[in-house]
Amino acid sequence: MGYKITAKADLSPIDYFVEVEAPHVAKAWKPGQFVVFIVHEKGERVPMSVYKAENGRIGMFIRKLGKTSLQLYYEYSVGDELWSFVGPLGKPIKVKNYGNVVFASDAVCGQAENYATLKAMKEAGNYTISIQSFENKANVYPEEFLAKPVADEHYITTDDGSVGIKGNYLDVVKELIEKDRVDIIFAGGKLGTLAKLAELTRPYGIPTITTVRQIMVDGTGMCGSCRILYGNEIKFACRDGPMFDAHKVDWADVLKRAERFKEQEQLAKERYLEELRARGVI
Amino acid sequence: MPKLIKERVPTPERPPEERVRDFNEVNLGYTFELAKQEAERCLQCPVEYAPCIKGCPVHINIPAFIAKIKEGDVKGALRIIWNDNTLPAITGRVCPQEDQCEGACVVGKVGTAVNIGKLERFVADYAREHGIEDELLQEFARECSEKKGKVAVVGAGPAGLTCAGELAKMGYRVTIFEALHKPGGVLAYGIPEFRLPKEILDHELDKLKRLGVEIKTDHLVGRTVTIEELLGEYDAVFIGTGAGTPRLLNIPGILLGRIYSANEFLTRVNLMKAYEFPEYDTPIHVGEKVVVIGAGNTAMDAARSALRLGADVTIAYRRGREDMTARIEEIHHAEEEGVKFEFFLNPVEFIGDENGRVKAVKFEKMRPLEERDRKGKRKIVGTGEYVTLEATTVIIAIGLEPNKIITETPGLKTNPNGTLVVDENLMTSIPGVFAGGDAIRGEATVILAMGDGKRAAKAICDYIEKKAKAEA
Repeated sequence: MGYKITAKADLSPIDYFVEVEAPHVAKAWKPGQFVVFIVHEKGERVPMSVYKAENGRIGMFIRKLGKTSLQLYYEYSVGDELWSFVGPLGKPIKVKNYGNVVFASDAVCGQAENYATLKAMKEAGNYTISIQSFENKANVYPEEFLAKPVADEHYITTDDGSVGIKGNYLDVVKELIEKDRVDIIFAGGKLGTLAKLAELTRPYGIPTITTVRQIMVDGTGMCGSCRILYGNEIKFACRDGPMFDAHKVDWADVLKRAERFKEQEQLAKERYLEELRARGVI
Repeated sequence: MPKLIKERVPTPERPPEERVRDFNEVNLGYTFELAKQEAERCLQCPVEYAPCIKGCPVHINIPAFIAKIKEGDVKGALRIIWNDNTLPAITGRVCPQEDQCEGACVVGKVGTAVNIGKLERFVADYAREHGIEDELLQEFARECSEKKGKVAVVGAGPAGLTCAGELAKMGYRVTIFEALHKPGGVLAYGIPEFRLPKEILDHELDKLKRLGVEIKTDHLVGRTVTIEELLGEYDAVFIGTGAGTPRLLNIPGILLGRIYSANEFLTRVNLMKAYEFPEYDTPIHVGEKVVVIGAGNTAMDAARSALRLGADVTIAYRRGREDMTARIEEIHHAEEEGVKFEFFLNPVEFIGDENGRVKAVKFEKMRPLEERDRKGKRKIVGTGEYVTLEATTVIIAIGLEPNKIITETPGLKTNPNGTLVVDENLMTSIPGVFAGGDAIRGEATVILAMGDGKRAAKAICDYIEKKAKAEA
């Protein structure tokens, strides 16, 4: 059995979009939940956020970061199949009317959740504010993939100010807080920024729900690889999360644990890039 | 009365210095001739008396199948085993026979017990390799039909596979839902190739499919589909989700890098073949010194896997040698291969380096008392003395808890330890939903899980028949 790739597109020089046919997952998926896929028989289990779950298909945003994501980008096209695709995993977020809901993100997985979460929140009657942060103009996603259609307000920021607001989403969030316009904030993306966001909102007591991305193997609560310290208790990001109250997360530990396989990941990536160069792919 | 041969015929094993360099199977099993010789040692106790049958959780007619081996009738032997256990290639390899059939064997009172486990394995292996199984499969495969009933099995581990196989033999249409991409449960992710080669497992799974069982991988019940939804589509549900969540130590440093639960370590190595990284994409790193905490079969499996990844391995256990829960054969294999053992050491802290990775484990030395606990083990107390072991990797193998995702099912009652509440027919608090294996036991053996699967299959059959009658 396999799971057919039904669409693929570049989002930026570093990120791409993939859509996969997985009706069993699409049927049950709710915002906040993630999936795990394996590209081929020798592949690793890769946890991934979901951008859209429609018509039996799961859309995902992926960064060309490691061997697996590069391989999926360079060697798999529409019509090819992924070897394994399981989900939805994790707990859905609570969708209800909070008032003013902000979703902010500065990296690929968060950009995916941004759309999915705000769409559900808008349908639940919230006023939705979206902030999507990119490094520069070249990395900004094409219009059709931005969260704009599901947001009442939509902001883009770039680190160099080449488009939108100069800075990171933290800067926009700060302003929104000062104007008392935030009832709850959801965020995804880089762990370092999420840790800063937690400190930004903490003094105001603004509920802050963030993705806690951790290295996983099975994604079902079986291995404990993604354990985090949460309010002095050990929680598993895959089973108890992946969205958590950012104020209870021990971010220092989360940041450390995310680096566990850095050398191995680097080795695999280098080897693969060499292979691609030798084959003339890049 | 036949002449008693006190000592068992040994099974050939690969030498430690050779096997420790690869993941291939350690024990090579009996040849046809050796199996016949070993079978001669069986005293053929009458069935109504035979202690070995009583000692076997699924009550295989052991004297009868051994008699067939003596006659050289492997097909006959396999037929007898299959009546009670359709997965003998697995149980023959992983059962703790010394506590079960072999522990009860009469020959064992004066010499070494008949090597029942290896004989069982011989029958399964020989039958598979010589096409005997194919003939018998046709005999056992019944036409599966939705008319008879449809059953959903949750989890493709020992309990679920057995339940599914038994129901298929009775003519039920069975679908197994498995969360991982490969079926087998602990047999796939937990037990290393050197104890249970994957091709053996794959073959056994294939056999189930030939009996008519459908296996849906990539389906996490509780997330992909709920028990409630399954009940709407199937006549009954069996939960065999095992004890899938690792118990971790609640001591400082538990979040340091390179501290693995045995589940994570073994899943990376066995299921994802991290030992072939970067040929396979899942990484593992063990460094030079591995400390394994615990003394069960999982600890032995983890230690011996780490050894094969090139590390110097020490098993640290808070009790004494006599209290280790692993099978004697596995402890013996681990020792032969060079795993070191440290006893009466209780971990109190993991010490990390500047990169947030473990570099040592601090233990308190323990002392045994005369007094014994409920399980008959000697109680231990701390001595106030401490010792530190260097560790580039730590593997925690101190036990498991039931999977929490399934217990979130509304209406499904659990015990305080997280196991599912079942009645004498293994039915849970939800009518039509049955459970067995570690999901109800907490943590037990493959064969006990299989025993539950078999019992549940009978109970499910009764339940569906009764329901059909009531509806007619």
